[in-house]
Amino acid sequence: MDPAAAARLIDACAAGIVVMGILIAGTRSIGRSIWLVAGESLLIGVVGVGVGVATGAPHLVFGGLLAGLTKGLVVPVILGRILRQSPVRTERHPYLGPRVTLVVAIVIAFAAVATVDGAALGGRLVAPQALPAAVAEILTGLLIAMTRRKGLSIIVGLLVFENGVALTAFSLTYGMPLVIELGIVFDLLIAIAVVWVYARRMLTVFGSMSTDELRSLRG
Amino acid sequence: MTEALVLALVGLPMVAAIPAWWSRGVVAVGLAWAAFGGAAAAGVALAVAVLAGGPVSAFGGTVVVDALGAYVLLVILAVAGLALGGSPRYVGHEIASGALHPPDEGRYYALFLTFVASLVAVPLFDNLGLLWVAIEATTIVSALLVGITRTPEAIEAAWKYLVLGTVGVGFALLATILAYASSVGVLGESSDALAWTRLVSIAPALDPGLMRLAFVFALAGYGTKVGLVPFHTWLPDAHSQAPSPVSAVLSGASLAAALYALVRFYLVAVGTLGPQMPATLLVALGLLSLAVALPFMVAQEDLKRLLAYSSVEHMGLLALGIGFGGPVAIAGVILHVGLHGLLKAGLFLAAGELVQQYGTRRLARIRGGLRDAPEASGALAVGILLLAGLPPSGIFITEFAIVVGGVLRGYGPAAAIAALLLALSFVAVAFHGFRLLWGRPVPGITIRRPGRTTLAWLAVPLVAAAIVGVWVPAPLADVLASVGSILGVRGG
Repeated sequence: MDPAAAARLIDACAAGIVVMGILIAGTRSIGRSIWLVAGESLLIGVVGVGVGVATGAPHLVFGGLLAGLTKGLVVPVILGRILRQSPVRTERHPYLGPRVTLVVAIVIAFAAVATVDGAALGGRLVAPQALPAAVAEILTGLLIAMTRRKGLSIIVGLLVFENGVALTAFSLTYGMPLVIELGIVFDLLIAIAVVWVYARRMLTVFGSMSTDELRSLRG
Repeated sequence: MTEALVLALVGLPMVAAIPAWWSRGVVAVGLAWAAFGGAAAAGVALAVAVLAGGPVSAFGGTVVVDALGAYVLLVILAVAGLALGGSPRYVGHEIASGALHPPDEGRYYALFLTFVASLVAVPLFDNLGLLWVAIEATTIVSALLVGITRTPEAIEAAWKYLVLGTVGVGFALLATILAYASSVGVLGESSDALAWTRLVSIAPALDPGLMRLAFVFALAGYGTKVGLVPFHTWLPDAHSQAPSPVSAVLSGASLAAALYALVRFYLVAVGTLGPQMPATLLVALGLLSLAVALPFMVAQEDLKRLLAYSSVEHMGLLALGIGFGGPVAIAGVILHVGLHGLLKAGLFLAAGELVQQYGTRRLARIRGGLRDAPEASGALAVGILLLAGLPPSGIFITEFAIVVGGVLRGYGPAAAIAALLLALSFVAVAFHGFRLLWGRPVPGITIRRPGRTTLAWLAVPLVAAAIVGVWVPAPLADVLASVGSILGVRGG
């Protein structure tokens, strides 16, 4: 068992994940954002496998492989299929332009590093330095989901948010127990299937997946 | 034995959903009733065993059902049964009017069964992580039901529900991770570290810093599913656009299941942090929900949105009561959850009937019901009055208990504001009910009057809610006492 190596791996991957989150915040291309979020999810899988090997925990290796496979491969492929069916593949008029969003995401990252102190939280964290990265990733995901108009971009934002939550789990406790990991992945897969169903309905009924069409329900 | 009951309870609806998906008409309804009947029988047997002989556990402690879980289970089953009873007439009308494609009939029942299976799983797990998985599953499955008619509005409502529900429940996952992190140091790295039975007993030893964060995120996360202001924005859309029997389950059962999840977190948080901070947050969000729901109810033009905002109001009241704590308010809260579930089920069925017969959800165009549609509009008006707390309905007593309980626990100002808001909302819904019954009838309207079975489904919840107002049967009183002792362990 080598906790120091595990902590170094989590920290390194956390840095990569935050950089990719910032890049997603700064791109107009929905296709690129899907592949970036797939890269993030693969890194989450790498963290799981790496930590599992370093600490001799087979359930983490299995959980990491499962998360990498579903979130890094299956989900992006489905999102890519939806994208190919949509007429519009870029975020043309987001509520906040990609350059501004990029700057905000960078500010979030620095603010998180400056304010979030992993050591202050109980002192038993396995990778305290990854905690600010996880918080920054969660906020970046919410930022993306709130400032974009296209359904797919919003889903990408939610996936970034979800990766931030997963990173939090690794930073605090080496990830979750396997049963729960299985449940989370299971829910995620059905959720993406439901997104697929509604993406097709939106394309049929509205001709696009822009949330501009969704403003008839008020009060 | 317990294992078999749990398997029947969750498994029967899930298995029956597969053939139901491709079936139609009588076969689909028959499958749904057979599976639900079996599951409900198992669920009632399980609940009776718990309420008579104390908590039961199964599958190596993964499943633990105590009195609180058993009570929530019974509420879910009662609401789902009423909704299933009202489904054939509703779905038949939707198909006849072209709002629903004929193949969607089987899908409706298949999804309904899956929704019920995910809901009944919520109070079974002795694990905050698996509890989260079950709650998230209810969101995903019911999102498909909300948009089953494929109208632009239904798609919009389902999309918002899916996205906002996922963000909300994402925060609840974060809360679960933080709770896990606060307990692995004490319980070690296993799924035991998320068992609420263990967490409640070792709560004082948990890390308070992590637990404080965990409760805040749990409140935002499960609070979204409960529909507490300011996390409620998806609720009026989803509850008004869903098929009316599904609205009944969303409002009567799904909100109760989410509240159950929040309460499990709350009990651990109170054990670690003391009652001050968690209770204050609940009281604040509860009052905010009551205050925000009121103007939307007064000015509401849509019948089903009126009922949806009433759900926000009642969930706010429940949060308030849990925050107050103490035996009086808690007894009120427990009874209120059941009465609200029953009445909302009856109300949404009656509203669905009126919406279909009048062909609109606009309150201004559903008038003079006493002449043209006395059964449905009568049931709706009686239900609205009972739900608003017309004495001596059960709701009057539970609301009174919550307010008085608040005063007894030193929350005088909050309780006074709550009482005022409740009185105002009573006037608001009474006004809507008056116009609905005695307003100028809509010219040239033709109403297909409901048959005797439909009438029975409309009447059952109203009669039950009215009886409890004047007489609480002894077994129910026992249930209230044993659930109360779980909720009051530290709050009382």
